[in-house]
Amino acid sequence: MSSVEISGVRKLYGPVVALSEIDISIKSGQFYTLLGPSGCGKTTLLRTIAGFHFQNAGTIAVDGAEIQELPAHKRNVAMVFQDYAVFPHLSVFDNVAFGLKQRKVAAAELSERVDRALRMVQLENFAKRMPHELSGGQQQRVGLARAIVVESSVLLMDEPLSNLDAKLRVELRAELRKIQQSLGMTTVYVTHDQEEALAMSDVVCVMFNGVIQQAAPPFEIYDQPANKFVASFVGGNNFLTMENRAEGLHMVAANAQLNAEALDVAAIAAIRPELVKIQKDASVDTNQLSIAGKIEQISFIGREIELHVAATNGEVIKSITRPSPEVISMTVGDSCYAVINRDDVLLFEDTETGARIV
Amino acid sequence: MTTAPSFLSGFKRRLDFWNIATVVVLAVLFVLLILPVFSVFFVSFLDEDTGAVTLDNYVTVFTRNYYLKGLWNTLFVGGLGTLGACLIGVPLAFFTARFQIKGKAIVSTLAILVLVSPPFIGAYAWIMMLGSNGFITNFFGRFGIDIPTIYGAHGVILVFTLKFFPFVYLMTQNALMSVNKSFEDAARNLGCGPMSTFFKVTLPLVFPAISTGAIICFVLSIADFGTPAILGRGFRTLSTIAYSAYTSELGGKPTMAVTVSIIMMGISIIALVVQRRILAKRRYASALTNLPKPDKIEGVRNVLMHAYCYLVVGIAMFPTLVVVYTSFLNTKGPVFQPGFGLTSYARVLSDAPEAISNSFIFALTAVVLIAIFSSLISYLIVRRDTAVSGAIDVLMMVPYLVPGVVIAIGFVTTFRSDWFDLTGTAVIIIMIYFIRRLPYGVRATTNNLRQIKPSLEEAAINLGASPLSAFAKVTVPLIFPGMIVGALLSFITAINELSSTLILYTSGTATMPVKIYISVLDGEFGLAAALSTILLVSTGLCVYAVFRLSDDKEGSFT
Ligand SMILES: Nc1ncnc2c1ncn2[C@@H]1O[C@H](COP(=O)(O)OP(=O)(O)O)[C@@H](O)[C@H]1O
Ligand SMILES: [Mg+2]
Repeated sequence: MSSVEISGVRKLYGPVVALSEIDISIKSGQFYTLLGPSGCGKTTLLRTIAGFHFQNAGTIAVDGAEIQELPAHKRNVAMVFQDYAVFPHLSVFDNVAFGLKQRKVAAAELSERVDRALRMVQLENFAKRMPHELSGGQQQRVGLARAIVVESSVLLMDEPLSNLDAKLRVELRAELRKIQQSLGMTTVYVTHDQEEALAMSDVVCVMFNGVIQQAAPPFEIYDQPANKFVASFVGGNNFLTMENRAEGLHMVAANAQLNAEALDVAAIAAIRPELVKIQKDASVDTNQLSIAGKIEQISFIGREIELHVAATNGEVIKSITRPSPEVISMTVGDSCYAVINRDDVLLFEDTETGARIV
Repeated sequence: MTTAPSFLSGFKRRLDFWNIATVVVLAVLFVLLILPVFSVFFVSFLDEDTGAVTLDNYVTVFTRNYYLKGLWNTLFVGGLGTLGACLIGVPLAFFTARFQIKGKAIVSTLAILVLVSPPFIGAYAWIMMLGSNGFITNFFGRFGIDIPTIYGAHGVILVFTLKFFPFVYLMTQNALMSVNKSFEDAARNLGCGPMSTFFKVTLPLVFPAISTGAIICFVLSIADFGTPAILGRGFRTLSTIAYSAYTSELGGKPTMAVTVSIIMMGISIIALVVQRRILAKRRYASALTNLPKPDKIEGVRNVLMHAYCYLVVGIAMFPTLVVVYTSFLNTKGPVFQPGFGLTSYARVLSDAPEAISNSFIFALTAVVLIAIFSSLISYLIVRRDTAVSGAIDVLMMVPYLVPGVVIAIGFVTTFRSDWFDLTGTAVIIIMIYFIRRLPYGVRATTNNLRQIKPSLEEAAINLGASPLSAFAKVTVPLIFPGMIVGALLSFITAINELSSTLILYTSGTATMPVKIYISVLDGEFGLAAALSTILLVSTGLCVYAVFRLSDDKEGSFT
């Protein structure tokens, strides 16, 4: 149970800036997830913490003690690998015992701790098996047992579930979270799967191009994205063109004025599909905006209906809603209004990582 | 908050096991490879008497008839030997890869045996058959028919062809088996007949493999010493010229020997560069979706095809069989007597027991060192993406290209000085085996290590193992099969080494190949045959072990 403090970490691969000025603060026992698209530097950051490569600048402290200059084998930060990395020449028991043997744990205690770890990942009956006799999911359980048994200060995981099939992924995800919570281990978890990140984490840290975009609890990431990148990467979003007019910001599709002053940079509005209502008539409520358009596509996706509405200016607005009688009665080509609450509209500067405009 | 790593911690970080290993490996390669080769290179630019820097030695080689003839002869037998190897190797590969051949495994096993048996054994077996006193010569002589003897250029070319065709055969066969059959189907579909499909589609697709096999033949032929030395009889190639220059210059500076050797090396390098250039434009990525299946053909064509396959490996193996047969003939001194017996083996034990023990001790010691170093070197090459590792990787090509004579002379000039002298010791022979055969070990372990995920070592380190301990506990057990295969291959090639041992041996450090060579020159054919048989059996056992241990059996040998 340890806190982790990362400050000013920078990592270059030749001219490529893989990480720039990373500052992260993880509280003891937290499940902290690095989320971002492929190539954004998640693995690089995790491996920098593990000591597999050295940062060009910055410090990494565990419980206040700086570890960034220690060689990897002295860092005491256990890692679970994406490709399991279960030693193929050692039995399940010996795999899990590996770290304890390095730490010169006495035989009796060693076997007791290995057994306990194997029970925790439900592999108590597999101790004698060799890795090639295990399925992918079971191998990753060995990887997990091997990492938790050493009771290190921090647990690092790099997309540990990404090589498993979808059903197993969801199962193991819940199990992983349960084990993490019961042991209270400070965990840094890497994934590119936003659903996984939101479901498991105490804090989600969204990264892009080696830069931290936002670090916050899952709901806050979703509800209050700090910039346009977070808004687009986490959950679906509609982005609507804004115009800077003398009297303020103007939403083109709704042909309406918003309560915001004009900017000297381009702006864009974001609205979640589940906050868009589709109805036959425009709203009369002044707190709402109505966008006139035609229904372009209707798809039933289980509990909900997804509708695409083409606004008169050509922009397409997605809506996800419960199938109310009014919605069910609509067909493609019908004229309709996409109605949104003014309060639900988020405004961003219109660049890839454009900041939120308050 | 940001602190630059302090100098001291930066230094400690650099002191990790692999950086130390890099330094050790570089030091060993420097002393055993770079230094000897450069010293040879250097000597070739010095005037023999005055020691002044000069190009005269090269001018001499390129103007004097004696050397020019040698150069021409070398290119002639090398080129025609390679051509011959392609002419018999490519059809053999095509038949075994594309048609159902009974006993295909035997064909490739025999080809590999041909490959690993020392070339001079083949040369000397041909003397037993077609030499001036050979049994075939004598047989026809009884009827008053004079058939041409084996001596001279044609003999050397014949031996090269039969000795080196397995390289072309094995590499081409492998390529033919992995060509996507859809290409050929498409050609047929577009109206090509079987013949024109073969020449217009299949052959160009496997050309890279054929040319790689051919270039190996060529490089080995250029450097081969034993064959022209035994069969030449006045027909001199650069390697025999270099050797006799060396022995006649003994005591003085081996200037001409060295200059000639450097030219041999130059030819090999030029050949390799040209081949790489040609290949660079012809890289065919092939998706292995539609692998060709061997066809079955019937009738006369099938019989002819089988006959061809058996005949080729049969003729190539024949010299070896003659040697084994000869070793069991009774002898009295150098003279053969009627009947069979073990007299030749008895003579080996009485006259040359130390040749056997020397061979094994030198080769085994070298192989243990090779196994250790090749595991370290392959780790550096595969896992450490630094300029130094890249340089080590490139350096591993050098022993393939440097003829034995060159590096042996380099060893003599490097390890003999006023205050220390390693020449004549076992150490120098072990060192030369080590450096010349190291690439075989490195290649086997490198191939093995590439199959192993780096995350395994990282996991060990992450769990608290130091880099050295992670290597010992995880990497080494996993690349152990590769280390064994590499060790066997280096053993096979080390125990059969002739050209450099011949320059470095003294009476106490003679090896089996050296004794065989000397016995053949002395006309002691029985002794030579018995020693050759012992050598062949040792080699054969190693080949068998490689077969048992290796997934890609044939690929291990090429
Ligand atoms: N060993 C390396 N050499 C050079 N560039 C690298 C190396 N490893 C990663 N990169 C680059 O650094 C960036 C971040 O990579 P990575 O951390 O693997 O991303 P992620 O795990 O988020 O997909 C990418 O642009 C990648 O191409
Ligand atoms: Mg990654």
